[in-house]
Amino acid sequence: MDHFARLGLPAALELDGAALDRAYFAAQRQWHPDRFVARPAEERARASTEAAALNDAYRTLKDPLSRAVYLAGLKGVELPGDGRTIDDPDLLMEAMEAREALHEAATVDAVDALTTQARQDMQQALAGLGSLFLRDDRAAIRKTLLRLRYLDKFAEEARARRTNLQRVKA
Amino acid sequence: MTYSAKLIDHYENPRNIGSLDKSAEDVGTGLVGAPACGDVMKLQIKVGPDGLIEDAKFKTFGCGSAIASSSLVTEWVKGKTIDEAETIKNTDIARHLALPPVKIHCSVLAEDAIDRRSRQADRRHPHRRADEGLLGDELYARICRRPAADG
Repeated sequence: MDHFARLGLPAALELDGAALDRAYFAAQRQWHPDRFVARPAEERARASTEAAALNDAYRTLKDPLSRAVYLAGLKGVELPGDGRTIDDPDLLMEAMEAREALHEAATVDAVDALTTQARQDMQQALAGLGSLFLRDDRAAIRKTLLRLRYLDKFAEEARARRTNLQRVKA
Repeated sequence: MTYSAKLIDHYENPRNIGSLDKSAEDVGTGLVGAPACGDVMKLQIKVGPDGLIEDAKFKTFGCGSAIASSSLVTEWVKGKTIDEAETIKNTDIARHLALPPVKIHCSVLAEDAIDRRSRQADRRHPHRRADEGLLGDELYARICRRPAADG
């Protein structure tokens, strides 16, 4: 059963966050271990398996990027796993230049400006995914998701850089 | 997890960080990335008229093992022909730096980068066969293998 089906939600890029929360908490109540303490061992085991699968589904679907990656996977678009490499020059040049700019950003303001830009790029890329899914343009979906992975990593590194700069200032 | 002295040395004092003029005729640039961990690596070589690699530079945004591996590779390729440089394997890098098994993929990154760049330098260099660059990719694939949870 895929994560969407497990939560009774349509398999779509756009997901109402509140509906996701409701579906998750309702299902989690249903399979809560407390309700199975007096039940036979096999039912307890089933409940604990279901609860773990629900957590996994919720975590995956909550974040827009991980949701998009997951949905793409359902549609047969696989991203390179751990240790696999890519050599797309446009994508990597963009990632390299962004990381260089972050490395050179000497003030919190400079980091924030780069972060704002990265967030805008992410939102735009996520918004553009919808029509790529509609057209089932797998190559473009893959490239966009890879770009989003790098933007996401950039945002993570920018947070770390910001924290460091603030620490130095203080 | 403990790291070898060589690995720490290359990480703390990386050799040959920087860039070469990527539009120069005798410079080959290899770019490679490992999207699962968000790492990106650039390796460049400058090939002399005698076909030997005169200079090598790298820029790596990634884990310590990826940085150490790229640093080591820039040292190793200098003075070699492109064909010789292409024979560098991630297992050589991993063995030299005593990379823990989970980090082996960091050395793949460096090896990919080498292969990609060598091919590109080949293409640009008038005395060498036309080919497409490989130095970046395999080098990365060979250098950077680490668990996602490991910074």
